[in-house]
Amino acid sequence: MQRFLGVAFAAATLAAGSAAAATFTCPRTGGDLVFGQEANINSLDQMTSNTISTRNIAMNMFESLMTRDENNNAIPELAESYEESADKLTYTFKLRQGVKFHNGKEMTSADVLASFDRYGRVGLFRSMFDQVEGWSAPDANTFVIRMKAPQPTFIELLSSFSVPVVIIPAELKDDPPQQLRTIGTGAFQLVEFVPGSHVRMRRYDGYKPNTRFEQRTGFGGYKVACLDTVTFRVVTEASARVAGLETGELQAVEDIPTKAAAAMRNNRNITLLPLENWWIQIALPNTAIAPTNDLNFRKAVQAALGMEDIMDAATDGNFRLNVGFQYPHQASFSDAGKETYNINDPAVAKRYLAQSSYKGEPVILLTNRDYPPMYNSALVMQQQLQAVGIKAELRVVDWPTSVQMSQKVNSTEFNFFFTGWGTQPALGALPTMQFFVAPGAQYRPRDDKDDPDVLALFREMNTLATEAERNQAFARMQKLVLERAYAFPFGALTKIQASRANVKGFVPFRIPRMANVWLEN
Amino acid sequence: MIGVVLRRVASAMPVLLIVSLITFSLMRLIPGDPAAAIAGLAATPQMIAQIRADLGLDEPFLVQMASWYGNLLQGSLGRSILLGKPVVDATFERLPVTLGLSAYAMVLTLLIGLLSGIIAALRQNTMIDQIAMAFAMIGISLPSFFLGLLMIILFAVHLGWLPSGGYVPFWSDPWGWFRAMTMPAVSLAMLQAGLLARITRSTMLEVLRQDYIRTARAKGLPPRRVIFRHALANALIPITTVIGIIISLMISGSVVTEALFSLPGIGQLLTQAVLGRDYPMVQGGLLLVTALLVMVNILVDVAYALLDPRVRYE
Repeated sequence: MQRFLGVAFAAATLAAGSAAAATFTCPRTGGDLVFGQEANINSLDQMTSNTISTRNIAMNMFESLMTRDENNNAIPELAESYEESADKLTYTFKLRQGVKFHNGKEMTSADVLASFDRYGRVGLFRSMFDQVEGWSAPDANTFVIRMKAPQPTFIELLSSFSVPVVIIPAELKDDPPQQLRTIGTGAFQLVEFVPGSHVRMRRYDGYKPNTRFEQRTGFGGYKVACLDTVTFRVVTEASARVAGLETGELQAVEDIPTKAAAAMRNNRNITLLPLENWWIQIALPNTAIAPTNDLNFRKAVQAALGMEDIMDAATDGNFRLNVGFQYPHQASFSDAGKETYNINDPAVAKRYLAQSSYKGEPVILLTNRDYPPMYNSALVMQQQLQAVGIKAELRVVDWPTSVQMSQKVNSTEFNFFFTGWGTQPALGALPTMQFFVAPGAQYRPRDDKDDPDVLALFREMNTLATEAERNQAFARMQKLVLERAYAFPFGALTKIQASRANVKGFVPFRIPRMANVWLEN
Repeated sequence: MIGVVLRRVASAMPVLLIVSLITFSLMRLIPGDPAAAIAGLAATPQMIAQIRADLGLDEPFLVQMASWYGNLLQGSLGRSILLGKPVVDATFERLPVTLGLSAYAMVLTLLIGLLSGIIAALRQNTMIDQIAMAFAMIGISLPSFFLGLLMIILFAVHLGWLPSGGYVPFWSDPWGWFRAMTMPAVSLAMLQAGLLARITRSTMLEVLRQDYIRTARAKGLPPRRVIFRHALANALIPITTVIGIIISLMISGSVVTEALFSLPGIGQLLTQAVLGRDYPMVQGGLLLVTALLVMVNILVDVAYALLDPRVRYE
């Protein structure tokens, strides 16, 4: 017996529909919106780049079979519907009719098949297909995925916006990695990409909105391009982004420094748009070497940390204290392990330290200046550790170097690695907790051998049948990870975006969504 | 003259070879690799290992070196890993921005630096001399980044006369190019103009004390002829050396200016390439920039030969 899996989709549709009684129509059309983006764009190949700068732009032009709504639920995008077979070994997707690529060609299952073929060959997250036996296109509107074994989380993985399986015309399937031609089905199409300078896209007049919805929701929903063109201009200097917004040369920008935001609050021409829960600021221990291989030492560190001070320095005040690896608005959120968080008690820390094997040797905090929150949080943590008698020293390198150092098995070059987890926590508990299992578990166990208790709970998160059961498994895993001090999540960072006051419909999200955004006057 | 040029070109070859060797080795010696840049902030070791294998970065050092020099001998500088296009194309796309900026800044440098240096020398120890040298000192002392920020606040935010950043190609909109490049060029030129003014002043003062200047004045030549024909012509030789150095400084100093004003030039390209460990882009791009600087030096040598007959006779 086949079971129709439209529950989440129906709920999402209702939620989106209830926000407004009628289908969205642009109050005004036309105009060019110039968005000041902080990072350079290397490539618009959404299948082979995991950078935020690529996603910011490419996700306005590409679409996928499944995506996520405003609340991170999986919803169909280019799929009309999908079914999971009773044995959970087959997923059948019916495609939306009349969807056209930017080259005018109508999308069929042959294009979906070719897109999956390319992703399976070069896609960054192709490991999601490990349990996939194969795929086929029995007719022009149907696409079928066959599994080797049931995988309850498959749709969750497939709808991930981290490195999504975007659907491209079949004739692009052999485009080399990083060189995919930018032809998608999105509401905007590429006009020009000048590396280092800007990307310009224009409204795609052949775009067919998803009429299952009435409003934009998350990455999907009912999308309409109200703007004639959108220009993403690379403005790496924060002060230049602020100046551009103040002069009106830029209509919207990302990552406004806190001090500039304070000055802008009284500017009637500018609307500040804080985007909470942008990432989890975190330090990860290297448990392959002393003294961080000693649980008592790690507990001493845990007890020494005061999260307000760390987050305040890291973010200039734009933060929210947050327990664990999910955010309160997410269904999977749990505060399990909260007793390990923000202890900030030097006496307890010294007690654990006395019980540990620590002999006063240097403890290396590996950080970088490319991401100031990482550097600043390391700086404060160094002071807090020194205050309880730990000889904490900073090792400051650039980001690629710190990544490589941190990922070496049995590395002796660091004790704590500083990073930020953005996309994975936003995607949900499963992709986040993937960080704690081999290969490359982020607490760097000796010889990359998993802690069997952590691994067992991660397996439960993957295999339990219902979402509620999987969420409970996540809570248990979070508690275990925190109790064994395999991670030190400091809190949630808020990213401040801003727009000119005449920009309407711009709601901060994981990417700057340009559909359903319009300019007044 | 042709002999001078040929000798200089021949002596440039080892320079290019040494630069390419150093660049190749340094890029491989420093930790980090392009896989981390592609994989982004949420990179997992599995993802990075997969990208390394996809890009052939897991091959031994010598194999990669042999491959790079083999391609170089066939005239190929390779393909940028991050941009996914040939290094030559990526470089020549950005070159007009940096060359345009440097040329504009150079014109400003020469105008401001030479004129104020000459006037200061001719009016030594007067108020004019002191004002000119005070401005020169400010130009030298003020970081171009800070000057650029001040100009953005004044001319873009408060007065609205000039755009705060961004690039407009000269051929599509010359006036737009002029507006977009004025603040970056001024911020880049001020340091060099200050330097050139001080060098010009001291060189002119030294020349003006020479016997042949006294002779020229004694035989009744008009002051303008003495200054331009006899004094400046002789002072230009050391000044030309400085101008050659200034051109090199401008191209390398454009990194900061390009970042501040969001100009897609060579500085930005190479900075991003280094940060992203885009080996072919750094190696090939630096080789091309080195060749450009070598060419500038050859032109300076040619200018010597034109200005000073003794060089031609050597």
